[in-house]
Parts: sequence; C-alpha cells; structure tokens
Amino acid sequence: MQKRKMFQFTLIAIIIGGMLAVQIRSTKDPAVRDTRDIWELRQDLKRELQLQQQLLSEIRRSDDQLAAYEQARSTDQEAALRKALAELKEEAGQTAAQGSGLILTIEPFYPESYVGPVVRTVSPELLHRLINELNEYGAKEIAIANTRLTNTTAIRDVNGLTKVGNVKIASFPLEVKIIADDVAALHHHLKVSPLFDDFVIENLQLTVSEPISTVVIPQSEEKWHVRYMETISTEKGGE
Amino acid sequence: MWLPFIGLIVGIVLGWLTDWRIPDEYSSYLSIAVLAALDTLIGGIRAHLQNVYDESVFLTGFFFNIILAASLAFLGVHLGVDLYLAAVFAFGVRLFQNIAVIRRILLANWLKRRQKS
Repeated sequence: MQKRKMFQFTLIAIIIGGMLAVQIRSTKDPAVRDTRDIWELRQDLKRELQLQQQLLSEIRRSDDQLAAYEQARSTDQEAALRKALAELKEEAGQTAAQGSGLILTIEPFYPESYVGPVVRTVSPELLHRLINELNEYGAKEIAIANTRLTNTTAIRDVNGLTKVGNVKIASFPLEVKIIADDVAALHHHLKVSPLFDDFVIENLQLTVSEPISTVVIPQSEEKWHVRYMETISTEKGGE
Repeated sequence: MWLPFIGLIVGIVLGWLTDWRIPDEYSSYLSIAVLAALDTLIGGIRAHLQNVYDESVFLTGFFFNIILAASLAFLGVHLGVDLYLAAVFAFGVRLFQNIAVIRRILLANWLKRRQKS
C-alpha cells in the first residue's frame, strides 16, 4: 500500500516537473515565428556572408601579425612592435589618411517663396544618418568640416549648434570628405540614396562630387588619455 | 520519502530535454495547470501525513483540478474577465494552508522524536 502511494506521488511529481520545465522553457525563450520572406532571407544571408568575410580577413590579419611577432622574436622585436603601433594608430585615426574618395557639400537650400527660419546648422540626427549610410556603402574614412571621425567622435547638439568632436558646425557650405576602397560604388549608391530628401526636409542640399583620386583626411585631434593602464616593470623579465 | 522529489527532478529534466515549447497564448493555461497540480500534490502529501489519504480522491483530484482550472481560464479569456485569477487565488490559498498543515505536522513529529531521545 505504502509503495503504491509512493508510486502515485512520484508519477504526479514527474508530470508536474515536466509541466514546469515546459512552462519555464516557453516563458524563457518563446518560440518566435520566422516571418522573413525570401528577399529578407537573402539579404540576411548576404550580411552574414559579409560578416564572415570580414571576420576571416581579420583572422588572417591577426595571423599575419602573429607570424610577424614570432619572426620578430628571433629577428627584431622592436620593429614589429613599432609596426603594430603604427597600424593601431592608423586604425584609431591618429594619422592623416589619403586615398581616392568623394567630397560631399552641404548647403542651405530654400525653395522659392520660402518663409521660415534660416538654417544655421545641420542636426546631429541628420549627420548620424548620413554617416550610417556612408558606412553602409563602404566608406573607410570620413571627415566632417575637416574633423576626422573616429569611433569615439561625438556628434551632438550644444546650445542649438551641432558639434562634431570639438568643431562647431555653424557655417556653410559644409564639406564632408570620404575615402573609400570602391569609390565608384559609393558614388552610385549615393546618387540613388534617399538621403537627399532627408536633407531637403531640413532645408539643406547635399551635393556629391565626382570621384576624386586624392582626398586627404586629416588626423584626429582627439587626445587619448590612458587612465587605467600602467607600464609593466621589466626588472624580472624572462628573456 | 525521497522518491517524489527524485520524480520531480526527473520530470523537470525530461521536460527540459524534450525541448517542447508551447505558444505564448497558451502559457497561461499551462501555468494554471501547474498550480493546480502542485496544489493537488501538496494536498496529497498533507492527507498522507494525516493518514486520510485516499487514492481515488488524489488521482481524480489531480486531473479534475487541472481540467477545471484550464477551462476556467479558457472561459475567462472568452468572456474577457480574468477568471483564471479565481483559480490562482483558490489554489494559492489552499497551497499555503496545506503547506502550513504539513509544516505543523512535521514540526510536531520532530518535537516528539526529540523528546523521546
């Protein structure tokens, strides 16, 4: 009798456990229906492939660097470090960049019989949009009003004027310089971009130059403060 | 005594491994069914401790409570009234009462055993 009772309890407990697990699973990560159509799937696939490509090239670069380090250990350690430093500096925008690219010009644009406020600056949102679009189309380096954009450059509204890094955007025409690997593609992309309409809505006109063989983008003015890193003392160095 | 707990763990592991997922709109039914089942289980344990355990009452209560709770929730959804709250309330109160009774019985047993020793 006792055994039978235990068996019943156990059976019920198993059922409850199963229900609990299913419930927890369902509420933790509910089944999301995939509603992408074939074009969206293709686009996603393309994006993932690009990501894969990018990751592969990064891996290759790291591998090269590793090989360089290994080689340098036997030949010249310092040269490899200097090379890495130069590469990092270049990546962080601490060196001037040169290459083929485009120059975009932003000017005020007023339709006929326009009554309304005069445009004094370009809103940060619009600039963000522009930068996002440019990055999407393969821009490598961007400078707005001769200010190099890096990953940490802030574009923000300060008392009604937009500031890019430390530079106020208060005068027109405003020049946006871009360096890209495939300038022609970028140019074509920009030609058909809906960005122009976005600019017109804010009473601005965006003009895209023809591809230019040499665009010079200055180095970033940002100063890097190293606050949480210290040099290691090398007194007890192994080698 | 430990068999039901092992059963509970086995059930959870099994449920986890089967990778079943129920759609979002049915999750309230399952949650209330879980509550009803827990209530029955705790009630069964209490009855067992009070020596009034009845097999048929326990088993029918288990399934009947689950079905009743789920249909109450179903009715609530269709009437636009959160009727499942009634079930949640009823089961919740009973759960607490039963657990309190179990605690008292276990406590009394424990004290008795200590006095003996």
